[in-house]
Amino acid sequence: MEKSIENIWKEGFLKSDALVAPKINNLYSQKSIHIIDKFKRMFKINLIAIVAFSFAFLIVSFLVGIPITGILFFITLSVLVFINKKLLNDLEKIDFGISSYQYLKAFNEWMNKQVSINKKISKFLYPIIFIAMILGFWFKDAEGMPLGERLVNEILVGFPDTYLIFGIPLIGIFIVLLIIALLVHFGGRIYKWDVNMVYGRVFKKLEELMTDIESLRS
Amino acid sequence: MSSDFYKTSILPFAGIIIKLCRAYTNSQEDFEDYYQEVCLQIWRSKDNFREESQWSTWVYRISLNVCLTLLKKKKNNVQHFVSDAITAEETEDNFAFSEESLNVLYDAIRKLSEIDRAVIMLYLEEKSQKEIAEIIGTNPNNIGVRVKRIKIRLKKILDGEIN
Repeated sequence: MEKSIENIWKEGFLKSDALVAPKINNLYSQKSIHIIDKFKRMFKINLIAIVAFSFAFLIVSFLVGIPITGILFFITLSVLVFINKKLLNDLEKIDFGISSYQYLKAFNEWMNKQVSINKKISKFLYPIIFIAMILGFWFKDAEGMPLGERLVNEILVGFPDTYLIFGIPLIGIFIVLLIIALLVHFGGRIYKWDVNMVYGRVFKKLEELMTDIESLRS
Repeated sequence: MSSDFYKTSILPFAGIIIKLCRAYTNSQEDFEDYYQEVCLQIWRSKDNFREESQWSTWVYRISLNVCLTLLKKKKNNVQHFVSDAITAEETEDNFAFSEESLNVLYDAIRKLSEIDRAVIMLYLEEKSQKEIAEIIGTNPNNIGVRVKRIKIRLKKILDGEIN
């Protein structure tokens, strides 16, 4: 007589080798392959790297004479680290012991929140970094006068008809504003593109799982 | 993790973890990774256990949640969910277990969606509809219908009517 799946299941596990637990060796020292732990690890490493970089750059910026760039970098990156540290704390709160729906929902919400916040930050981050670079080099000392002023003087020698606004060539202001506008416009997209490259499949899979469970809830 | 915690709180429930992990993996190597990951998460989350449910139910939840959202880092560094990697051609059971019928049944279970796998595994473990709904976080009224559908699908897969 054909066996039911229930019987196959019950009888299958009567065999002694079907339920032998794998050996556990130095479990805690092994790296986790779970996505949440992976995110936590990546986040922590990223945040530490950003803090280290912003400190190092601050010192270097003073040494090479572009302290404005260093200070603006430091402030901007500190805000970025602070916000992402708060996001990391939220991730730590996700409890594995809740129901699968709540767990996936919590994780999905965290992922969406994290992407959304960092996408918004990217719209400001890239332009601020660009402005910081421009200001730093503009006010960098070049033989007793700011580098920017020296540059303008040299431009005026070659192009005496250059139209200036507050001592800055209009064409220069236009180019800087255009780059800032492009960075604001594409900053969020660059971040989203980057995240999708790495975690696109995870987002898709989470969505599928959520849809499947939600169909059972309705 | 202390060996005492493993011996007293995990090993008695290893059967539950083994059965679930096997349904979400297709090789002994992946299975062992998943098993270790589940044990690690149980240990890490042990302080969150509030005795609102049985320890075994809680172990089920953690095992299931870990299996649903586990990343398997392959040697080529491509990250993906293991269930994505299982195709019809690759589902041949690669475990060193001797029970052929059980291997065939596991093969069929792996062809179900992740949630259907969870539902049928809990059903086969004789969990009530209410318990299944609590573990997965769904409406108990829909579990019965879903189990019937899954069983029909499993039967068709076992009979070779569908892949």
